[in-house]
Amino acid sequence: MFLALKEIKHAKLRYSMITMIIVLIAWLTFILSGLGNGLSTLSAASIKNLDAHYLVYEEGSGSKFSKSLISASLKEKIDAQSEVEDSALFGSAMAAVSKKGIDEKTDIALLGIEPGSFIEPKVIEGKKLDKNIQNGVLANKTLQDKGYAIGDEIKVDSSTIVLKIVGFVENETYNHLPVLFSTVEQWRAYQFAAPGANNGIEDVVNAIAIQAPNLDAENFSEKIGGIETATKSQAINGMPGYMEENGTIVMMLVFLVAISAFVIAVFFYVLTIQKTQQFGVMKAIGAKNSFITKAIVSQVFVISLVGILVGVVLTYLTALVFPEDMPFNLDPTLVVLYGFALLLISVLSSFVCVRQVSKVDPLTALGRVE
Amino acid sequence: MKRLEVRNMTKTYDEGSSTITALNNVSMEVDAGEIVAIIGPSGSGKSTLLSAVGALLQPSSGSVIVNGKKIETLKEKELAKFRLNEIGFILQTSNLIPYLNVLDQLLLVKKMAGKVSSADQQFAKQLLADLGLEKKLKKFPNELSGGERQRVAIARAFMNDSSVILADEPTASLDSKRAFEVVQLISNEVKKRKKAAIMVTHDERMLTYCDRVYRMEDGVLTLQS
Repeated sequence: MFLALKEIKHAKLRYSMITMIIVLIAWLTFILSGLGNGLSTLSAASIKNLDAHYLVYEEGSGSKFSKSLISASLKEKIDAQSEVEDSALFGSAMAAVSKKGIDEKTDIALLGIEPGSFIEPKVIEGKKLDKNIQNGVLANKTLQDKGYAIGDEIKVDSSTIVLKIVGFVENETYNHLPVLFSTVEQWRAYQFAAPGANNGIEDVVNAIAIQAPNLDAENFSEKIGGIETATKSQAINGMPGYMEENGTIVMMLVFLVAISAFVIAVFFYVLTIQKTQQFGVMKAIGAKNSFITKAIVSQVFVISLVGILVGVVLTYLTALVFPEDMPFNLDPTLVVLYGFALLLISVLSSFVCVRQVSKVDPLTALGRVE
Repeated sequence: MKRLEVRNMTKTYDEGSSTITALNNVSMEVDAGEIVAIIGPSGSGKSTLLSAVGALLQPSSGSVIVNGKKIETLKEKELAKFRLNEIGFILQTSNLIPYLNVLDQLLLVKKMAGKVSSADQQFAKQLLADLGLEKKLKKFPNELSGGERQRVAIARAFMNDSSVILADEPTASLDSKRAFEVVQLISNEVKKRKKAAIMVTHDERMLTYCDRVYRMEDGVLTLQS
């Protein structure tokens, strides 16, 4: 630490430039992770929020809500299984809504749930869903920004349905759209308005969410028949575009981290090579390899730590100026995780230099001027 | 028992098909409080001898004995320790650490051995004061003159209170006035602190400060006076 800090203090410009590189890498990493997190939240927040362990789909639907149609009557059979603690009906549809006084239509996801079931989200303003108010809906808070308020009557496009906002919920998005939660019956009335759209299944729903911590999914599907059972994370991956979006971001992050490992390693390697003579001198006057190694590694550690911390601060500052509707969502756990990953990678990459040090011959110290 | 003995040391290098003898059956002795000079033309083997005595180079045969201990019996790790504790190298002016101030150059030696105590701090300041550098403690090498840098290198060599001082062309790149000063300082410190010192030099004017002078020619060492 002694040598490391003294040297940084002495060559401020050189080390601040290297720190700057690490700052930029860290900054980019954190922003990408924030974007990735934001996008995946936008894509599937409502499914992530479900307090369920498994979801039951129609057999052959590949865990996709849009391809799955099952009868609500299956619920009885499911509830009868000993492993199942509770179950809840679920349906989804895409729609556009409008209200008087607002020119622009708004795209929304209409999710049908049973009032009072465990998948009903927490209301932050207004009232819960009510069986007796058939057209009542809970709207995601972002709709407030578009001019919607409690008590508003909203018209659903391509239908004669008029819904009424009874309450607001937060962080509920589905397929990148803000969610309106309605009763299953109301959802059915919209989604299956055309005769035969329900494949002739009575009391149709897309899926049934179940709470069952110790479920053998395959066995369970066979026992009920005509269904497939997916874990919640499988259900999230089944959301349209979810895997593709996440895959893209993860790939970028992996490349970024791999490239940064190389860049950092090369920088420190060049620095180390420049100091070969100095290390020779130190060895000639009695420095052990471990002494020089400690100096190098601690220097890399300090520089990386400072760079990453500055990167974190910059990321949070940039988050403040990002436009409101940008899908940017910084998860502090992820920030800490990526921060540690970057730190670890830089310290590991400095070991490339350490190998170089052990090769320095102290005889270089006797190099002649004459 | 002499402080430092070199016994029948030979060093050969293979260069292509021919063998070059850098040191040919060299023997010498230096006692505590003595400073000896080795002079000779370039390429005569002076530096090779110094490197071998300083445990930077393994001789082909023969021994270096410091305080009765043969250094060829030491392992790689022990050699670093040996250099740290028993050898004080006075290297050329360019060989200070550029980002350490004068005081830290000396304390670095103690850092290598472990912690720096306040007694070490005092000793370092005392050494630097002996060499007339008491006002330059916080200066960096690039802020010092050539003579001052060389005096720092001398102080550094004495810092670990080693048995042997090895000076490698300490006056190279200094004008004669500074060169005399530097050699005189080395000589004074060697006598005062009872070290065994070897100085390799080109400069025959410096020999008045030395107890004995050896001449090296084509790897053969002969006592001159």
